[in-house]
Amino acid sequence: MATYDFLFSSLGLEDWCAEGQSDGPMSMADLLKKTQGTSSEPESLWDTPFPSMDALNESCAAFPKSRELTKGLEEGFLSIKDSLSVVLDPLTQPLSWALDGTLYGMLNTPWWIVIPLLLAVVFFVTKSWKLVGFVAGSLFLLAFIDYYRYAMETLSIIFVCAFICVLFGVPIGIAMSRSDVMQRLTIPVLDMLQTLPPFVYLIPLIFLFSVTESKLYGIAIILYAIVPVIRLTNLGIRLVDKDVIEAADAFGMTSRQKLFKVQIPLALPNIMAGVNQTIMMSLAMVVIASLVSAPGLGVLVLQGIRNLELGVGLVAGLGIVILAVILDRVTKASLARINASQKQ
Amino acid sequence: MDRNIKISIRNLYKIFGPDPVGALEHVRGGMGKAELLEKHNHVLGLQDINVDIHEGEITVIMGLSGSGKSTLIRHLNRLIEPTAGEVEVDGENVLQFNEDQLRKLRRERMSMVFQKFALLPHKTVLENAGMALLVRGFSVEEFEADAKKWLARVGLEGNEYQYPHQLSGGMQQRVGIARALASNSPIMLMDEAFSALDPLIRSDMQDLLLELQDELQKTVVFITHDLDESLKLADHLVILKDGHIVQQGEPQEILMSPNDPYITDFISDINRARVLRVRSVMKKTTEAPPDCAGDISDRDNLESVIARSDGDTDLTYRVVRKGKQVGVLDMKELVKALVPTEATEGDARSRY
Repeated sequence: MATYDFLFSSLGLEDWCAEGQSDGPMSMADLLKKTQGTSSEPESLWDTPFPSMDALNESCAAFPKSRELTKGLEEGFLSIKDSLSVVLDPLTQPLSWALDGTLYGMLNTPWWIVIPLLLAVVFFVTKSWKLVGFVAGSLFLLAFIDYYRYAMETLSIIFVCAFICVLFGVPIGIAMSRSDVMQRLTIPVLDMLQTLPPFVYLIPLIFLFSVTESKLYGIAIILYAIVPVIRLTNLGIRLVDKDVIEAADAFGMTSRQKLFKVQIPLALPNIMAGVNQTIMMSLAMVVIASLVSAPGLGVLVLQGIRNLELGVGLVAGLGIVILAVILDRVTKASLARINASQKQ
Repeated sequence: MDRNIKISIRNLYKIFGPDPVGALEHVRGGMGKAELLEKHNHVLGLQDINVDIHEGEITVIMGLSGSGKSTLIRHLNRLIEPTAGEVEVDGENVLQFNEDQLRKLRRERMSMVFQKFALLPHKTVLENAGMALLVRGFSVEEFEADAKKWLARVGLEGNEYQYPHQLSGGMQQRVGIARALASNSPIMLMDEAFSALDPLIRSDMQDLLLELQDELQKTVVFITHDLDESLKLADHLVILKDGHIVQQGEPQEILMSPNDPYITDFISDINRARVLRVRSVMKKTTEAPPDCAGDISDRDNLESVIARSDGDTDLTYRVVRKGKQVGVLDMKELVKALVPTEATEGDARSRY
């Protein structure tokens, strides 16, 4: 006898419940309960369980347990998985190529080409010799302690993922800024992407793609990191001075002219702030993504945890911090340059 | 008036709210602004506006904030859509324009100067001045000479390659004016163009505008809340209050015979001697006065006549326009005209 028997008997559902009785194998929980000899009947009102799925199942075997709900979700996902893969696989294949290609390129070009090239890029976007010196020092340090290869792997993944985030995020942000309906529809999705624990992204992706494919971690990183660039593009364009927009209208600009000659240039500081955030978030995710075979410094961190190699884990962690500081300073410096050229 | 009507506004209404057309019925039924807001939660922006704007004149629309003047000027190039009424430019109804025609109108026939300058902060002064031409698809090289000419005309030679934030407010508004002039459009809309500037610079800019106007003869629609400014600039003055026109006409005429206590209030503390001109207070006659103290122009303001007479109220002057006598001014009449007029519909005092 269980607490909610009266509910089913009063509704006349006993027959339906009886049908659910099965002689199948017992679950671990049932087995434990039996051996401990505890009855499910509560002693007093104080112990009355909430009428949850499991509590109702005790009174009526035909009522589904909560595990059956999650199992149903699993089965549902597995049943659409194949058809989903047919669509998603070719669509995401270019991501795999981009990641593999960049990794191959970065790792097979000799260090004495890659490092000067990176420094040249740093100088081009920041025009600051101080920063170039800092980046050079950091890279030489990482290379000296033989972490060069891992650092370059991490950097390549971030470059590809951040580039794709910008490629898709900016247009989505622009679309959001132009239509309130679009904004209302997109914001809950962005909120969800931002609050979902990073590990949760990995679960459905593992089912959909094979763990050996690089697009698996690529997608996880992009989903996690694309949010800030979308949000800040939308915000930046919405914050463009209404007077300037009115002037653009009054002089007969088409909406395309307005977008490219007024709105995007004036929103650029905000968009760049979003790009900075996106890069930082992809760095955070690339470590977690090493759980699903993303190469780079994250692998070393994982190795440190798994094999209790304290030193490896700590130094790899430090390497990630160095990369984060480099990426942050470089993007911030270029952002400052944009800001300086258009303060009002 | 012998000039052509360039822009004609007919029975223009604008109501802000969820159901403007429904609210329009109430307004036409005689409901006022306050009542409409209270009972139907709609804001009456403009009510039955009829203005003719003549070619080559400066038409000033004056009113306090909330009187609908900025709303009104935005109807001329349809930055705001009216609820009812017509706006005709060169005889064409702007409200029936499709998007392309409207864009063409804004690009080629109307330019606008804004209170907050509204320059593009990421473009140089030169590119800002050439914005109208840039919009039409010209490259910087093509419009450079033109833009430079207009920048020089407004006194910004040598600032072409600076950015707007490097200039003072007055200089930024000069860029705004150069931008409007460079578009080469016959109509210039100026929305409180000088209100954000400090008084000395404002006065400079007003002189600049009058000087340019003498030279270019544009059709200017100027919005302001400043009575002195409107009297200085206006060929035709329209006074708005709570979305309707209280009085419109020649500024001198409004000054001499205001038809509403609101306007009397408004004009009670201006310097009448500086604003009123001889032609408004003189007696129209071609007969030479018996004891003429000298010739004065009909465009002189009273202040200069007082200075010339040295305060003697017994003198009489001959008023001359282009070498011919058009009237006689008795200094006693002049002094009387300095006393603010009460608002009366048909002012008994003879003004001419």
